[in-house]
Amino acid sequence: MILNYSQPLEVTNLTSWLDAALRSSLPEFWVLLIEFVLVGVAFLAAYAVIALILIYAERKITAFFQARFGPNRVGKWGLLQSVADMVKILLKEIVKINRSDRFLFFAAPFFMIVASMATFGAIAFGKGLHAIDFNIGVLYVTAVSSLGIIGVLLAGWSSNNKYSMIGAMRSGAQFVSYELSAGFALMTIVVLAGTMQFSTMIEGQRYCWNLFNGHISSLIAFIIYLISGHAETNRGPFDLPEAESELTAGYHTEYSGLQFGFYYLAEYLNMFIIASIATAVFLGGYMPIQVKGWVAFNGIMEYIPSYIWFFGKTAVLIFLSLWVRWSFPRLRIDQLLNLEWKYLLPINLVNIVLMVILVLSGLTLTDLLPGWF
Amino acid sequence: MENIKKLILNTVKDAVIEEKQKLTVTVDYTKLHLLAKTLRDNAELPFDTLVFLTGMDRGEELGVNYLLCSSKDLSKEIVLKTGTTDRENPLLYSVTDLFETANYNEREVFALFGIRFINNPDMRKFFLNGDWNGFPFRKDYDANPELNPLNLESKDIIDIAPRIMEIDGKLVESTVNIFEEDDYIINIGPQHPSTHGVMHFRTSLDGEIVKKIDVHSGYIHRGIEKLSETLTYPQILHFTDRLDYLSANINRHGLCMAVEKAAEIEVPERAQYIRTIMDELNRMDSHLLAWACQTNDLGATTAFIYGMREREIILDIFEKTCGGRLIINQNVVGGVMFDIYDDFQKDVKSFIIYMCDKLKEYDRFFSHNVIALGRMIGIGNLSKEDAINYAVTGPAGRGSGWSCDIRKHIPYALYDKVEFNEVIRTEGDSYARYLNRLDEIEQSLHIIEQLIDNIPEGDICAKTKAIIRLPEGEFYSRVEACRGEFGVFIESRGDKFPYRLKFRSPSMALVSAMPLICKNEKISDFIGIGGSMDYVIPDIDR
Amino acid sequence: MSSVSKYFSGLFTGIKSLLFGMSVTWKELWTKKVTRQYPENRDTLVISDRWRSELTMPHDENNEHACTACGICEMNCPNGTIKVISQMIETEDGKKKKILDKYQWDLGMCTFCNLCVLTCPSDAIKFENTFENAVFNREKLKQQLNHEGSKLRDKKKEPLAPKAE
Ligand code: SF4
Ligand code: SF4
Repeated sequence: MILNYSQPLEVTNLTSWLDAALRSSLPEFWVLLIEFVLVGVAFLAAYAVIALILIYAERKITAFFQARFGPNRVGKWGLLQSVADMVKILLKEIVKINRSDRFLFFAAPFFMIVASMATFGAIAFGKGLHAIDFNIGVLYVTAVSSLGIIGVLLAGWSSNNKYSMIGAMRSGAQFVSYELSAGFALMTIVVLAGTMQFSTMIEGQRYCWNLFNGHISSLIAFIIYLISGHAETNRGPFDLPEAESELTAGYHTEYSGLQFGFYYLAEYLNMFIIASIATAVFLGGYMPIQVKGWVAFNGIMEYIPSYIWFFGKTAVLIFLSLWVRWSFPRLRIDQLLNLEWKYLLPINLVNIVLMVILVLSGLTLTDLLPGWF
Repeated sequence: MENIKKLILNTVKDAVIEEKQKLTVTVDYTKLHLLAKTLRDNAELPFDTLVFLTGMDRGEELGVNYLLCSSKDLSKEIVLKTGTTDRENPLLYSVTDLFETANYNEREVFALFGIRFINNPDMRKFFLNGDWNGFPFRKDYDANPELNPLNLESKDIIDIAPRIMEIDGKLVESTVNIFEEDDYIINIGPQHPSTHGVMHFRTSLDGEIVKKIDVHSGYIHRGIEKLSETLTYPQILHFTDRLDYLSANINRHGLCMAVEKAAEIEVPERAQYIRTIMDELNRMDSHLLAWACQTNDLGATTAFIYGMREREIILDIFEKTCGGRLIINQNVVGGVMFDIYDDFQKDVKSFIIYMCDKLKEYDRFFSHNVIALGRMIGIGNLSKEDAINYAVTGPAGRGSGWSCDIRKHIPYALYDKVEFNEVIRTEGDSYARYLNRLDEIEQSLHIIEQLIDNIPEGDICAKTKAIIRLPEGEFYSRVEACRGEFGVFIESRGDKFPYRLKFRSPSMALVSAMPLICKNEKISDFIGIGGSMDYVIPDIDR
Repeated sequence: MSSVSKYFSGLFTGIKSLLFGMSVTWKELWTKKVTRQYPENRDTLVISDRWRSELTMPHDENNEHACTACGICEMNCPNGTIKVISQMIETEDGKKKKILDKYQWDLGMCTFCNLCVLTCPSDAIKFENTFENAVFNREKLKQQLNHEGSKLRDKKKEPLAPKAE
């Protein structure tokens, strides 16, 4: 089924060459060890770099929405701004808080970063650029990503600060509710795709993205996933846990230096993770746009490396999330819960049933128009 | 008013009635409460709004001046005066039960003059710390810094209020706890992004819900009124810009009017035109900022920047006209300091066109947004009765259905010549206040449109004496500032300095209503309501 | 039934209003940006002539100013920002005359109320729009406005000045 990629720019070429080279000279154990370490380092580096790029992009795009220029002093067009910020954060003192619970206070940011890191590992960045490809990928992602909330709750609890406490409690309520919707939205697509493994799910979308395949039902699931994913990342209009006009900085009010940096990074990375899961599940992941029968067109599309497709689609979703964030006022806690329990959840439940009906009665696009998709 | 005089004499036989700039009634302090109650409750013309409550050190006597007016017709005014010669332990009767707005004002008078009010439920000092030595506004105050040394230690806030109550004809001193034993109290302010300045709300919470708010103010009390007692009238003018810095020009207009009325100075027509136009520009500037801040308080940062962008154009016009952007120093006694510049009309007209367009955009962007509606409609309800009781004026008062626009009731400058609507809504919630501001911007544009092409030639300032002395007497002036009624009271003893100067700040009334309207709202709405009330802290603290 | 229709109409008007909001930001994404790029724009920056940021005492080419050291500005300043230090000298014809020795003005204490300029009978001082007044030390804000060795411009001579050139 899998076509042979004749793509010269694919990273797979490099990795398989490396693998072959190592195997030719070292025993199996060492090969695996070296590869694990390399992959780990690559992921950590990618984590930091993506976060830096996102921070820069967000500041720039926000500025454009707000009729400003955004960062433009450090480097050309301010390109080095987030690097400078990172250096600043690394150099900053970590302030010890009186009467805080030291151990939990210290541990909280790690929960946050570990959770987002673990989710990050399950993302398929491109053809073959996939660290762990579980057969229950979707389930894994939903499970692991919700660990982050522990970091938030602990931070709020251990800071000995009433603002942090309120922020953390809000965050708890918000996370628990929106996890539900996000999970259900993904389940809807699992019903459609018939698999929980990301790679098979992506390959299955070669000619028809899941977004189109399940038409109405998919579209609803997509929108719900975007909303609840957005809410899970604690970003406006769902930024109640850190609502700066109410709670100064919410649960991370008392954090400084690198510890704050962890929260900051995790926030941006979570945004990326949500967008990339949406890409994988709804928009065909790293698959290029392919139309059945247009051989020449497909060839050209395939010539673009798969990771570019992936990052491109993700970028579109991230832009959408920024656009939403900077257009709306913040919700109040009861509005937030209303939206989830009164609108998203019931719609979602009906939607799953609808999807099951669509799939069972052969009303998906691939079933209806097999010649086209 | 004849009937009112009769009514006064019927209630208090030995009341002294004088016809000064306003009808002035002097009564013994034991009768004041009775008289105020009768005036408030009379059916014909209820004097139910307490505009000024001014502490006075009359030399021998310590006392208070009250300016009451009718909520139906703000131009019907009456001044009540009372006092006590006991300077050691001055006691007067509180009118808090009649006019809620008196509460903070009486606490202010206590802090500054040392007069305690019987039956006021909360006799802590407003503005000053409880342990401040001496009463700064008394004429015999000793300002020696050794008495009140600079304190660098932090002090705990004591949430216990002393009070003095009259029970069965006996005075009983007691204390009352502001909060309950195990309230979850969080300090919103003095350093908080959304208090719009150094304001301190001690807030007790029940989960997300606000149970009670206790206002601590005075972090930027500069004693402007006291300072003014040693300055000449032209010198005092520069303080008004620093009260409510967002309605700088209007405040200054108010003080100039008070002096002009007292010294009988005729303001040239051209100056009146410039004043009115600048006042309205100032109002738009302030309302734009208020809109921007309110949206920001609700979490819409982008809207904030749009508001600031439009406001910038007005500030540029100010800069070109009078060399200042915020503190614009435009009005002087007798007219204005700077004439308009050559392109003024052109700039203002292009702004009008631009702004009309932007108002539509604001409407599209924020006014109908579901989230925003959910956070404003039905939130922070202030009924008309409460608005009057707390003397909440301006867009907030009019949002509660109270017609309280001084420009309509007591027209000054050119407001009787131009046509505009007083924007009134009856809902009394945050959304009404929000919409009122946007509509008032529209009305301001309309007012300017009528004036901008007709500015007559002529002087911009009347000739005044080198040293302005006001005749002996009491002079009031009231103007419609951006947040409500701004008032000036001058008591002159014929000098070039005022004997007592008092500013009525609209923001103080707004803040005094906050504990009422925020009760049982969510904490995030508390911030939103604050944004919709739009108080400016230096205006409260003075 | 009505509650159901309310539920859906609420949902749809809500979504519509959100889309309207997003359309506004989308439009703004492409509008001209308003940030002013200071200090790059220093050459093109227009600060109004009336802008008050620094009190100056104009001197002419003969190093003469118009201040008679009358002290009116000092008296009128609400903040005690101005100190006029004068000297008594004896003129050639034996009369005693007060001349300006030092005219001190403290930027840090000035509220830019313009009263000094308005009340000066000789128009000897004026405000300039040189707004870049940041310094590292408060002492530097205290300025002496009259130049070294300057003297009072003789009013009667003034019309002759062009001839002298
Ligand atoms: S502008 Fe005002 S404060 Fe400044 S020096 Fe002149 S009179 Fe004094
Ligand atoms: S500047 Fe003007 S007012 Fe001041 S001392 Fe000189 S002449 Fe007099």
